[in-house]
Amino acid sequence: MSLNAETAAETAGLRRSIDLSRPIFGLLALALCVLVILPIFWLAVYSLQNDAGEWTFENFVILATDPTILRAFGLALLMALGVGILATAIAAPMAWLAARTDLPCRSGVRILVTASFVTPPFLGAIAWEILAAPNSGIINGIYRWLFGLEADAYFVNIYSFPGLIFAIACYTFPYVFTLVANALERVPSDLEDASAILGASQLTTLRKIVLPMVMPAMLAGSLIAVLQALTMFGTPAILALPAGFHVITTKIWSLFQFPPQPGLAAAAALPLLLITVILLRGQKWFLGRKGYTVIGGKSGSARITNLGVWKWPAFAFVAFILSLAVVFPYAALLKAAVTTNIGEPLSFASLTWQNFNFVFFEFDATRLAIWNTLVLGISTACIVTILVVVISYLVVRKSFPGSSILGFLATAPVAIPGIVLGVGLFLSYANPVLMLYGTLWILLIAFITIEMPAGYQQISSSLSGMHPEVEEASRILGASRLTTLRRITAPLLKTSVIAAWCFVFIGTIRELSATILLTIANTKLVSVIIYDLNESGNLGAIAVLGLTLLVVSFAVVIIAHRVPLIARG
Amino acid sequence: MRGFFALVALLAGLIAGSAHAAAPVPYGITPALIAAAKKEGTVTYYTSLELVAAEHLAKAFQDRYGVKVRVERAGSERVFQRIGQEYLTGIHNVDVADTSDAVHFTYFKRRGWLSQAVPAEMARLWPADMRDPEGYFAAFRADLSVIAYNKRLVQPQDAPKSFADLLQPKWKGKLVKGHPGYSGTIMTATHTLSKALTWDYFAKLGQQNVMQVQSSTDPPKKLSLGERAVQVDGNEYVVVMQQKKGVPLQIVYATEGTPLVVGNAAIFKTPAHPKAAKLFYAWMFALEAQQLNSDFGGVRSFHPSVKDNSGRPPLSQIKLLRSDTKELEANLATIKRRYEQYFGT
Amino acid sequence: MAFLELANLTKRYGAAVVVNGVNLAIDQGKLVCLLGPSGCGKTTTLRLIAGFAVPDGGEIRVGSRVISKAGAAKPPERRNMSMIFQSYALWPHMTVFENVAYGLRLRRLAEADITKQVGAILDVTKLGALAQRYPGELSGGQQQRVSLARALVVKPQILLLDEPLSNLDANLREEIRFEIRSLHDQYRYTTVYVTHDQTEAMTTADVIVVMNQGAIDQIGSPEDIYKRPLSEFVARFIGGTNIFRGANAGNDHVSADGVVLQCGSGEFGPSGETAVSIRHHDVKLSETQPDFTSNVASAMVERQIYLGSHRDYLVRLQTGATVRVVSDVAVDIPAGRQVWLYFPPEHCRALAR
Ligand SMILES: Nc1ncnc2c1ncn2[C@@H]1O[C@H](COP(=O)(O)OP(=O)(O)O)[C@@H](O)[C@H]1O
Ligand SMILES: [Mg+2]
Repeated sequence: MSLNAETAAETAGLRRSIDLSRPIFGLLALALCVLVILPIFWLAVYSLQNDAGEWTFENFVILATDPTILRAFGLALLMALGVGILATAIAAPMAWLAARTDLPCRSGVRILVTASFVTPPFLGAIAWEILAAPNSGIINGIYRWLFGLEADAYFVNIYSFPGLIFAIACYTFPYVFTLVANALERVPSDLEDASAILGASQLTTLRKIVLPMVMPAMLAGSLIAVLQALTMFGTPAILALPAGFHVITTKIWSLFQFPPQPGLAAAAALPLLLITVILLRGQKWFLGRKGYTVIGGKSGSARITNLGVWKWPAFAFVAFILSLAVVFPYAALLKAAVTTNIGEPLSFASLTWQNFNFVFFEFDATRLAIWNTLVLGISTACIVTILVVVISYLVVRKSFPGSSILGFLATAPVAIPGIVLGVGLFLSYANPVLMLYGTLWILLIAFITIEMPAGYQQISSSLSGMHPEVEEASRILGASRLTTLRRITAPLLKTSVIAAWCFVFIGTIRELSATILLTIANTKLVSVIIYDLNESGNLGAIAVLGLTLLVVSFAVVIIAHRVPLIARG
Repeated sequence: MRGFFALVALLAGLIAGSAHAAAPVPYGITPALIAAAKKEGTVTYYTSLELVAAEHLAKAFQDRYGVKVRVERAGSERVFQRIGQEYLTGIHNVDVADTSDAVHFTYFKRRGWLSQAVPAEMARLWPADMRDPEGYFAAFRADLSVIAYNKRLVQPQDAPKSFADLLQPKWKGKLVKGHPGYSGTIMTATHTLSKALTWDYFAKLGQQNVMQVQSSTDPPKKLSLGERAVQVDGNEYVVVMQQKKGVPLQIVYATEGTPLVVGNAAIFKTPAHPKAAKLFYAWMFALEAQQLNSDFGGVRSFHPSVKDNSGRPPLSQIKLLRSDTKELEANLATIKRRYEQYFGT
Repeated sequence: MAFLELANLTKRYGAAVVVNGVNLAIDQGKLVCLLGPSGCGKTTTLRLIAGFAVPDGGEIRVGSRVISKAGAAKPPERRNMSMIFQSYALWPHMTVFENVAYGLRLRRLAEADITKQVGAILDVTKLGALAQRYPGELSGGQQQRVSLARALVVKPQILLLDEPLSNLDANLREEIRFEIRSLHDQYRYTTVYVTHDQTEAMTTADVIVVMNQGAIDQIGSPEDIYKRPLSEFVARFIGGTNIFRGANAGNDHVSADGVVLQCGSGEFGPSGETAVSIRHHDVKLSETQPDFTSNVASAMVERQIYLGSHRDYLVRLQTGATVRVVSDVAVDIPAGRQVWLYFPPEHCRALAR
């Protein structure tokens, strides 16, 4: 009958539940597998082969018996632990002061913390060489001058194990700071009121209520600091070598020197991977057992504690920390940038533009490197942002069973240290079949992989805070999935999208561990140039480049916050 | 990739074997060569020369021939590692390279990664033992790894005269040296000294709380900064350049002898810019470049007409310690291992 | 023929059957309430109609065209429906005007038409003065009105509302409830209204559909549902009631809890087990024994609450079962007193299910 025919015709307009999201899911899953699993696969294969290509446990035997490698592992773990403790010890009180007290200049504090965050750690390490090398360091010079001491007396020595921990902590504490400050802002003040009404003093409330509430954030921050330190290459390469020891990343790097031992390097990389995974699991377990999260209360803004007489001592503490992390190092770099010989005292006559001239006009590699850095930074930031928005969308909106696998894959690279990824990518993409080594593509792949977890965390958490009905309201009014994503979801996520974008961009500028293994002359990045310049001791040029990086990073962050994502919101 | 390594080595062996021939006919800088080079526009130059010196060289060449030199500067070992990585993975980015580690070029040659090329000027003027008999590479420069001190920190009468002097307790915590794992110069010097003074010397030196830096160009800079008073090793040319800037550094040619470090250069097998490479290579051995090298780079030249304006003694008046490239190559791993044992890295 | 039809509609989440073979036909222009306790599958049914969920079985037809069937669904944006969400789902980055204009912009209307139509609907919903505000600057009731305006302005074929009043306080709830009904009387969109609140359903609906555990228990007018429930569930859910369970004693009589109840209406269970429902305010309470042979029981007052317009009693039968009675304020019997209950047969409804 006619009804049947009509029904059949109409059925054509129906969409099978297999819509576009399924092929997208498939593609994404495949891409993420390639990004994450391929390098690790090759690492495993290489670690199990000897020079002749035969299967063997030789490399692991060497790994387990070579005292220099074991020592490097031990020192790396100790160093990472030290960084975690130091970073938390300075960042947590600072975060509380900045978020919950009437500390003077609180926005200034945040700007300086941001400056510390955008500072590549290796640049900070170089600045600290200028400041705290035992003999030529400015601080030690002042110390000797103040106390009229012998030429070889020194106050601080950056070329030492504690010096190394300090120099890394200076540029990893912002992770703890940001997480704790955000958590503190979300502790609803009525929870504190509830404690106060029961007779608890401010200090007791802080200790018994606020601290436990921000504990997960603090632990998460400390863990990030530990992981960053454990997997960091630049700072140890600059400070540990003069101090006469290796950590695991510099050891792996040295295994790539002639004659290269990629098998052993791969084998040495795997335990590092394992340690990272264990640390991440440990955090999950710990947080899971405690089982509390900071619940976003409606109850207004966080309560501000009046510091009273402690106001200025607290300010001095914060100012001191920020001077160490940002003000002094950049002052030192500035001095290095405008003088020929940093060892000379600063005078008007010794001022020179020579370093700027050299970096921007004589030194051939700079412009290419700045260009490469910007191109890679911006494209990585854009690609990662788009990827994580789509992935978060599929995962958070549970578009179909199994979509949570994407979330897992997107977070997995957090467990892969940069240098390990560098080795893995080199093994994966430097073969006749797939020859990406030597191009910017391999760096792009590396950066996307490295930066994806941070971006994903950011976007997925704000997406899960967004009610799906907000999107459905748009669908039912006649907007397609894509239109909705463009006109509703994306604008609503704008702040987190921009934040994620900036985070990724800054991350690529800071990156050195994977980069150092993957660049060639044409694909140099500023980070590598700085590392190279440091190797040949050109402090002036490093300082100029470092300051340029700071300016560019800040400019990009500011512009990113200004550019409206969607023309009409 | 391991299999691939083997394959490359095999092929390289075949090519190298078949190409085992006498040196090619020397070539000069002709207008045709210049025109062809200009057409290619650039030449990619990997070097371990001090960065400023390398940039001077590049600028002079560009000014003269209008061909751009893309300078890729890193420590010798990193230049070598980079070329190795690139060639093993089929990237032929480098046109011309030099390093301060003579071993590298015997390795490149054995791998068959080098072109034969003998610039006329070099064929005429260079001592025979300073160039490859088959014309694959030649000594672009020579340098010494010298002891030096900062006169502000050390009085001339207290200054060390020999390597043995550096073991005196008064130098504890005041020495700086480069690392053989990252610098060809230091590798060569370490090898020569380990033969002249035995490893026992390094074992004792390791007790002196020596500041360890990577590149051989770095110790003179640490002296300039005043970070350390005396360098155990490091490039003579960098010391000279620092002196020119007015930094009060003083070179010491040790009584035991001073390690001579020959820096070879070569054109690679399949350069991206063959003509520009040929032109640049020929020019590198010409008086202009060699004189620039001496003036700005402070390195020693084998070109007889180069005038050394730095006032240092000529090579003939210095007791030199030469190294055996073959023996050095055979001992690389041992040297690194022993070094780490004594110095921690 | 009905305009919106659900035929044997089924939806599963894993092993759980959330919507179980629902059959429903809604005539054009009618306001139908889906009423049922939380978790019974109302929202899921609504989302199936909207196209946000794809059925596992059965069909949904609009004007006899299939828009959803097992494994396939026309996407929501092509259904010409509107929906009002429990959370309002206003877009915080758009003003009231932009929120309302959104659907019209998607339909590519001329800007002048948009301004006119949005202005008109904002006036109807008493939002004219707030057009340039952002949702964050509105009260709950105003937000709900914006959401109404946004849904109505596109002149949908079908309007869907999911517990639109549940986030409002009691006074506002009443106000918006009447507003929704009057807007419906004005525009006559075919409407499906989901709620768990029987008063809301009674006051707004043309037809009430009572749902229980994913299936429809009863469909009918508010009066039908209240006066003539077909199951114990419906009787209990709509308005308070006392349920007696007992054996069918024949002749419209049921014997339960030591009482013989003659039932004036309803159906008896086939097996002999039958429930009898009698509303709280239909039970008569007295201190003297009424002279009826059946439908009478003696009991004891357990507690009594004065509620101004009436009194609420809890009395205990000899068997221990309790009965709730709502009586006139004049009937004032203190707790502990012996009383008689009378269950008028015309109010006793036998329930087969
Ligand atoms: N996406 C889903 N996945 C799994 N179970 C669901 C999902 N949506 C609803 N349910 C379950 O289906 C049942 C009915 O839900 P719902 O339709 O929201 O009920 P109502 O709106 O009547 O309160 C509930 O038990 C709920 O837990
Ligand atoms: Mg619901």
